[in-house]
Amino acid sequence: MKEDGGPRYPVLVRTPSRTWWLRAGPYRRFAAREITSMFAALFSALLIAFLFALSLGPHAYGRFLSFLGSTGMLAASSLILAAVLYHMATWFRLTTHIVVIRLGGRTVPRNAILAALVVAWLAVSAAVAYFLIWF
Amino acid sequence: MDEQSESPVLGEVLDWSEGGQVASRARRAPVRGRQSRAEALAWALFSAGGFVSAVLLPINVAVIGVAFAAGWLPDRALAYSRVLHLARNPIVKLYLLVVIALPLYHWAHRFRFAIHHQFGIHAKRLAAAACYGTALAGTGLAVWAVLRI
Repeated sequence: MKEDGGPRYPVLVRTPSRTWWLRAGPYRRFAAREITSMFAALFSALLIAFLFALSLGPHAYGRFLSFLGSTGMLAASSLILAAVLYHMATWFRLTTHIVVIRLGGRTVPRNAILAALVVAWLAVSAAVAYFLIWF
Repeated sequence: MDEQSESPVLGEVLDWSEGGQVASRARRAPVRGRQSRAEALAWALFSAGGFVSAVLLPINVAVIGVAFAAGWLPDRALAYSRVLHLARNPIVKLYLLVVIALPLYHWAHRFRFAIHHQFGIHAKRLAAAACYGTALAGTGLAVWAVLRI
């Protein structure tokens, strides 16, 4: 018997298979959320390139825009948008599960929180779109 | 009670896993104060990044990515002079940093575990350093880009 903090008794730890996360719905959905974050990061990289092109002057900026407007980038952006919308939907869902608001001794129902979130999201999106397109 | 009947049987769980190994209970290092503070910071950035990705990213991707490439935007929307004028506003610079950097930390925190879960690479410290390092590098690049404009 060892008493120095080492193993006092053997513990069986099963090595999961490499594809354990494909086996059940909740695992697959968790993996999907992990993957959507990669697309969000790709958009960050795209924005960094956008800003560098902008800082390099009109010529470099024009070349970046023709890259951004290519068919391949349309497909890539659509993929990124789909991933980000999936992330948004799951984020709204989990937030309505986590956030509990008490008003006057009553708990605000989940659907009301969801509606408030959607309204706030629409307002923020409209403001951002206004600045990006028309301001 | 539905949850009970849907949960897998122990035999199934054991069948899923391939092979076994004996490991000691004490292989995980105890969490110290500094490490737990770093963990808390990583979680805070992860959470903030998830919020930004959900609320701010969809419209940005839809306009800058999809709508521009599809030709739905008016010509002057992304015109050089207009975008430059917009990007020189300090509030817009701050907004850009938030939209660029926070999703990177969200990604870093998730990808750190994806390396462990999906790729089966268990060099956890190396993976964490690479992921958060990439996010830090992206933040640095974004700050540099914003300051150049």
